[in-house]
Amino acid sequence: MVDILGYLCIGVGIVFWFWGTFPLLGKRSVLFKLHSLSVADTLGSMSIICGLLLKIPSEWSLLVLALISLAIWNTVLGYVLAYCSSSGGRDER
Amino acid sequence: MLIAMILALLIPMYEAWQDEDIWQKMLAFASIATKTSVMILVISVLRDDWMIGVVGVIILSVGNAGLMLLAQTIKRINE
Repeated sequence: MVDILGYLCIGVGIVFWFWGTFPLLGKRSVLFKLHSLSVADTLGSMSIICGLLLKIPSEWSLLVLALISLAIWNTVLGYVLAYCSSSGGRDER
Repeated sequence: MLIAMILALLIPMYEAWQDEDIWQKMLAFASIATKTSVMILVISVLRDDWMIGVVGVIILSVGNAGLMLLAQTIKRINE
């Protein structure tokens, strides 16, 4: 039961990955792509790691460290990339 | 499952290859870094080998920090 739940989490994570990554291919602005990437991609990665955590709970310390670094670093990286890229003045496309 | 992950990894790689704008490239690289480290974690669970898992977590934290520093450097150079 828990095993099936783990695989379900991983599958949902892969769906989120595709959802967040497909807007990268379009001709939209950087900020639009950054938004979809930082929301759907981070949620997908966290869902995959939660699935792994359900499958092997004995190594929780490493996986929780991965979860925390995903949650914090990806948010900070999103802010920094948005700040750095918004100085060009040609974002509204 | 792993094949779907590799397919999802190919999308930002293609984007980084074909786009000329540096910020779009940085975005694709950030996506590649996150996806690769999560894939390393999945493989370490499948093989039950936690040395690989430690490498994945290190990439996840240090790689993102490196990307942040790289973004700041590129911004300074462009000014």
